[in-house]
Amino acid sequence: MSFLEVRDLKVHFPNRGGLFSRKTQPIKAVDGIHFDIEQGQTYGLVGESGSGKTTTGRAIIGLNSITSGSVTFEGRQLTSGDLQRQGAFRRDIQMIFQDPYSSLNPKKRVLDIISEPLRNFERLSASEEKARVQQLLEQVGLSPESILKYPHEFSGGQRQRIGIARAIALKPKLIIADEPVSALDVSVQAQVLNFMRDIQKEFNLTYLLISHDLGIVRHMCDQIGIMYKGRYVEQGTTDDIFDNPQHIYTKRLISAIPDIDPTKREEKYKFREEVRTEYELAYGNYFGEDGLAYPLKPISETHFVALPGRG
Amino acid sequence: MWRTVARRLVIMIPQILLLSILVFLMAKAMPGDALTGLLDPSIDPAAMDAQRVRLGLNNPWHVQYWDWITQAVQGDFGQSFRFKMPVSDLIGQRMMNTVWLSLATLILTYLIAIPLGITSGRFNDTWADRLITGYTYIGFAAPLFIFALLMLWVFGFHFGWFPTGGSVEPGTEPGTVQYVASKIYHLLLPAISMALITTVTTVQYLRSEIIDTKQKDFIITARAKGASEARVYNRHILRNSLLPIAAFFGYEITGLIGGTIFIENIFSYPGMGQLFLSSISLRDFSVVTSLVLLYGAASIIGALISDITLSIVDPRIRIK
Amino acid sequence: MDKAPIPISSAKQPTAKQPNKSPSGWKIIWREIVRDKVAFISLIFLCLVILSVFGISLVLDQEQIVSVDLFSLKQPPSEQFWLGTDYGGRDVFGQLIIGTRNSLSIGIIVTVLTGLIGVLVGLVSGYFGGTVDNIFMRFVDFFMILPTLMIVIAFVTAVPKYSIVSFSLIMTAFLWMGIARLIRSKALQEKEMDYVQASRTLGSSNLKIMLVQVLPNLSSIIIVTMTLNLAANIGLESGLSFLGFGFPESTPSLGTLVSYATDPQTLESRWWIWLPASLLILVLMLSINNVGQALKRATDARQRKG
Repeated sequence: MSFLEVRDLKVHFPNRGGLFSRKTQPIKAVDGIHFDIEQGQTYGLVGESGSGKTTTGRAIIGLNSITSGSVTFEGRQLTSGDLQRQGAFRRDIQMIFQDPYSSLNPKKRVLDIISEPLRNFERLSASEEKARVQQLLEQVGLSPESILKYPHEFSGGQRQRIGIARAIALKPKLIIADEPVSALDVSVQAQVLNFMRDIQKEFNLTYLLISHDLGIVRHMCDQIGIMYKGRYVEQGTTDDIFDNPQHIYTKRLISAIPDIDPTKREEKYKFREEVRTEYELAYGNYFGEDGLAYPLKPISETHFVALPGRG
Repeated sequence: MWRTVARRLVIMIPQILLLSILVFLMAKAMPGDALTGLLDPSIDPAAMDAQRVRLGLNNPWHVQYWDWITQAVQGDFGQSFRFKMPVSDLIGQRMMNTVWLSLATLILTYLIAIPLGITSGRFNDTWADRLITGYTYIGFAAPLFIFALLMLWVFGFHFGWFPTGGSVEPGTEPGTVQYVASKIYHLLLPAISMALITTVTTVQYLRSEIIDTKQKDFIITARAKGASEARVYNRHILRNSLLPIAAFFGYEITGLIGGTIFIENIFSYPGMGQLFLSSISLRDFSVVTSLVLLYGAASIIGALISDITLSIVDPRIRIK
Repeated sequence: MDKAPIPISSAKQPTAKQPNKSPSGWKIIWREIVRDKVAFISLIFLCLVILSVFGISLVLDQEQIVSVDLFSLKQPPSEQFWLGTDYGGRDVFGQLIIGTRNSLSIGIIVTVLTGLIGVLVGLVSGYFGGTVDNIFMRFVDFFMILPTLMIVIAFVTAVPKYSIVSFSLIMTAFLWMGIARLIRSKALQEKEMDYVQASRTLGSSNLKIMLVQVLPNLSSIIIVTMTLNLAANIGLESGLSFLGFGFPESTPSLGTLVSYATDPQTLESRWWIWLPASLLILVLMLSINNVGQALKRATDARQRKG
């Protein structure tokens, strides 16, 4: 039994159109995916925009309703719907949002923002609450003096730290980080990521890291899943994916990572050309007639690839 | 485009239905019924009851509603007990006066709004713009009835430039030039008073629209390509800003109805608004409900026309 | 905004002696109004009118003012009657004070009631969306098109036991839709923000999110709309009273005094009866609008004066 088990997860959105809003073919944002995460690890979910990676994360935390399939967390099945009614175990899963500007309520002071989860789940006196918030602010590297400030008085990186402080306030076990640094300056990205690793060790956190940036994923993750049009094309350990990519889509993603080392420029160029030729010649071999990926097949104990059935 | 028109028409059906039910319920809530207007009050109550049964006034409400609405559709609104004549004839006599008044107001509204709006938008932050903005500020805040009273007091009574009541000089022969001239003369002060107030929203809209459009990229491009200032305004800016305004006249109908009630009352102008008020004070309820139904329908149709013209003028706001 | 990265180890900002409390939104709005001269003068004028009207009306004997005095009909202004008397010998100045008080009171009551209903309905409809919202919007659209004035007049006549309470209820019944539609469209925008999603993942209930998270973000627009509505409602009430469908005659309103001008004689030669009330309505509405527009500018950061 894994820490988090996702089994055949499907999230479809109804698509309304026509004169009287008739239901037409639904949009299959997530179309049958499958993965496990072990406690204390970081799992990376990679894909282009529209591949369904964000929807997957939002379905696990309950913001999008699950069409079919199941999500099991520590042996308990999660359902969607009113998050509040599902009781205390929801507090063990928290989320870090992509946009540090819209994810903090502009009319609330830092104290109110960070103490929101505490007020929902814990009965604290005002002074206890203030002490907790100040302690959390210190943990994320912000001044405890700033509890009475408003979000607009902080920079993007600082705001993201406030968001993280809010997410760890309830000492959760799993954190879903949806593009946590993509809205930040490159100079701040590394700081926030390193800090996320620090608190991972400190609190034994498990991360589901959703990103389009393979560099970040390589730096952060133990396991990686690559998504394309709502399905998995490849899954494996970080080494499996980066050293031995099997699917043409994965290869194209990896060949596109820029490398600043000039001595490797020639080598890199050759690899990219190779992948491009293979893509042009063999694209049809990797995707079904509808342009979607095939079901995953194991090629080693940890490495799965969506290849057409060869017998 | 036809889909938009069709959709909009479909939306109108429940609106008309809802209006008729509302007016019907209102009619039922008002004291008295159709018989109160028809019969001599000294008649025997038993005969009265028999009459009620015969006219279907004891039927369940949905049957009564159906009878009432089918008659209304055919133009039969019942009898006015005060004037002892069919309501439709009574309204017919007054209708044209109100239509002329509304039309004159509408024309004046646009005649005032367009030059003021363009001046204020094109030369924004000059003294002319400040003057116009100041006027719209006051016009927006001032209630119509106060403004109209002041106009009547100053121009009607104090200076005596305009007649202070009626729709035409008594004794003039219909069809003659004097008759038409007298009609227009009587119309002028009420229409100007109303237009000066109703125009301010259009002036404000036009101003902000022009200022907005002025900063759009396609205007900057047009200027960069060497288009003359006149061409930029006539071909690009006004085209974009004036068309929506032209479509607003349908929405104006609801406002005009409220306005004519005050204006006709203040200027003793014999139109439907005045008829409405006098019928209410005389408890002539069949006239009241018919007028509400008529005005409500006019507003709904006005909004329909505006929605459809707007969707033709500006494809972005079509209902999906 | 300063985007400089702050090193993790030395993130302490230059500390003040006290935990530095930033000015709240209300303080910023207040600063803007004080800075806007026209609005500030309007606000002071409004406060003066309200204080003096409510103050003086405590001293005045309303019974005596509204009762007919046959010995002093239609008198011009004098020492005893500052603004003369009407056709019933009633003191016009006293009626002006009481009328202003009544008009202001009903304006405020109707504004608060329509505001409460409008905000509640708009918030729920916009936040939850879906079919209910759809039907509700069609309903509101319908009532927005209708000629409200006429229908209010018709209902005023249809109500059997007519009183100030029923008058304000009828006005409220037809006037809450505008604010509901506005709040609904803002709530619809607001609920798409990530902070609402965040609150859901943090375990806040829908009710709590609506009232604690979304509502504060709508507060400025609510205040602005209610201020502008207050002016409109005072105008509507005095208009209805002017036509004779507002307050009963025993409770004078500003509109009642203006309605004396429907008599051509009074309009032409006894201006002291109707003109002060007319001008008072005009100035009141202008002042409230000035304050409202200044609030609007203050809450819209792009238009702030600095």
